[in-house]
Amino acid sequence: MEQSGTSSLLQGAVQDLASSVVSALRSGDHARAAAPERAADGEAEGLALAAVRVLGADAMLPSTLLSTPPLPDELAVFRAAVEAYPPGADAAPTVLWSHWAMRHTLWRLDPGHADGPHPEPDAAWLEGAPWQLLTHQLAVLAALAVPGEDCAVARAAQHRPVDVARGFVRAVRRRDWRQAAGAGRWLTLLEGVPQTLGLDNGLDFVELMGGQDPLVALQVSAARLTRTGVFV
Amino acid sequence: MTDTRLIHNVGVGALEWLWAHRDGFELEPDVDPEIGFLERFKPIGELAMICKVLFREGVAGSRQARLARQLLDHAWRETLDGGRMLVRGQLTEPISPIPFEVYLPFKELGYSQPEVERAAALNHRLDSWAAFEATPTRRLGLSAFQRRFGLPPRPPESELRDTTWLARTPEPWTVEGHIAYDVTHNVFHLTDWGEKPDGLPPATADYLATWLPVWIDDWLDLERWDLLGELLVVDACLPRPTLDERAWEGFAAAQQPEGAMPALRTMPEGAPDEVFDIVYHPTLVAAYASVLATSRSLALLAHAS
Repeated sequence: MEQSGTSSLLQGAVQDLASSVVSALRSGDHARAAAPERAADGEAEGLALAAVRVLGADAMLPSTLLSTPPLPDELAVFRAAVEAYPPGADAAPTVLWSHWAMRHTLWRLDPGHADGPHPEPDAAWLEGAPWQLLTHQLAVLAALAVPGEDCAVARAAQHRPVDVARGFVRAVRRRDWRQAAGAGRWLTLLEGVPQTLGLDNGLDFVELMGGQDPLVALQVSAARLTRTGVFV
Repeated sequence: MTDTRLIHNVGVGALEWLWAHRDGFELEPDVDPEIGFLERFKPIGELAMICKVLFREGVAGSRQARLARQLLDHAWRETLDGGRMLVRGQLTEPISPIPFEVYLPFKELGYSQPEVERAAALNHRLDSWAAFEATPTRRLGLSAFQRRFGLPPRPPESELRDTTWLARTPEPWTVEGHIAYDVTHNVFHLTDWGEKPDGLPPATADYLATWLPVWIDDWLDLERWDLLGELLVVDACLPRPTLDERAWEGFAAAQQPEGAMPALRTMPEGAPDEVFDIVYHPTLVAAYASVLATSRSLALLAHAS
């Protein structure tokens, strides 16, 4: 019971954090996304760090996409989360990559206080992956879908725009709005997406159907900013 | 690519079941007029159409071809009483297109009933026929049937091709069951039931090549075997069929040992006639998908060697 209680607390913290990222992205105003209220006690602080780790590099998305410098305490919490949760030796590729994305983001946003660039994890598991798996994994790693950022995962996506588009359709059909939103975010970055996909309306549809989930709203907001080129 | 034998065996089993359950195709001459005498004609027309495909493709084994011929003879002589039931249906509902639609594949296979032909010719002259309200895909199908019968289609197919859902290549994520059936039938009509794959306009073929794999994946996982079977037919109508291995293996695994294909998930329970009414269609579709995919698979092998 305690475990599920902790897990639902963490889910709540992740949702709250995602909501504040969405607000910052929508308002264009730099909000304190990664550092909510100063944690009152150790347990709450641990929860806040865990939530940042779950959201990964997207915790700093307003700074990344809106090109506004992060606030010092926001950066400090983000750095603490990167350091608190190093991936284990047998971590899944998505875990390795999401941690890499955090370290890379830290280095990009605060080059004076972080080492880097860091060598990329292996991306061979995406090579030859069926389009269903490819899209699922890309959606999990949607934090890597950042304009102008090159990495092996992004290249794997760039090579297979039709497959990612298929995965988007599959996710929408299954009402897996998080996966659809993550795939949609990738698609805004890719060349060669079939015109018949109707991506713009598709993103609106995903938001309409699943946008009450802040994790969906975050991906759709990121996709829109990418689409409109606000980041440039 | 899927093992051709696996694809072929689905059709062998399906035809065995259809032959064993041929009495299920019977008509109900004394049915309540509110239900309509013509209700039970559709399965017979589908049976004839699919047997015609089987003869046309020429990939059936000798037993399979014999069963198909026996099924057709049974349907024509026994169920349709040598075509007289079609006449009776036409007299019951004079401007219904159903007797004509059921008759056409029999006519193409050499059966004949002059009175149905006279009714078809008369109906063809009626403005009421040209104005008959139907979905764009069904309308296209009626015109295609008129052409095959030897009549100038009203309206011409060229006026109808761009009116369907598929022709407009809409957002693929909006497809649900009803739309998917419209798509499959649209392809049947454009290709004359798989006979002319080049009947698909290039934009339609490209659209299907891109999105059909998603729909196949989806309805496979939903275990909607009837619709999956029709989608596998569409695949076999494309310029470059995928003959998707996972889909065919799932489809074959859903088939019952005696050859019946459940419509949805598993076999229904109930009285034999009720079970027949539920599973005859997916079983016919299984035979249809099997024969077309087998034919395409062998053609691909021939090209490769």
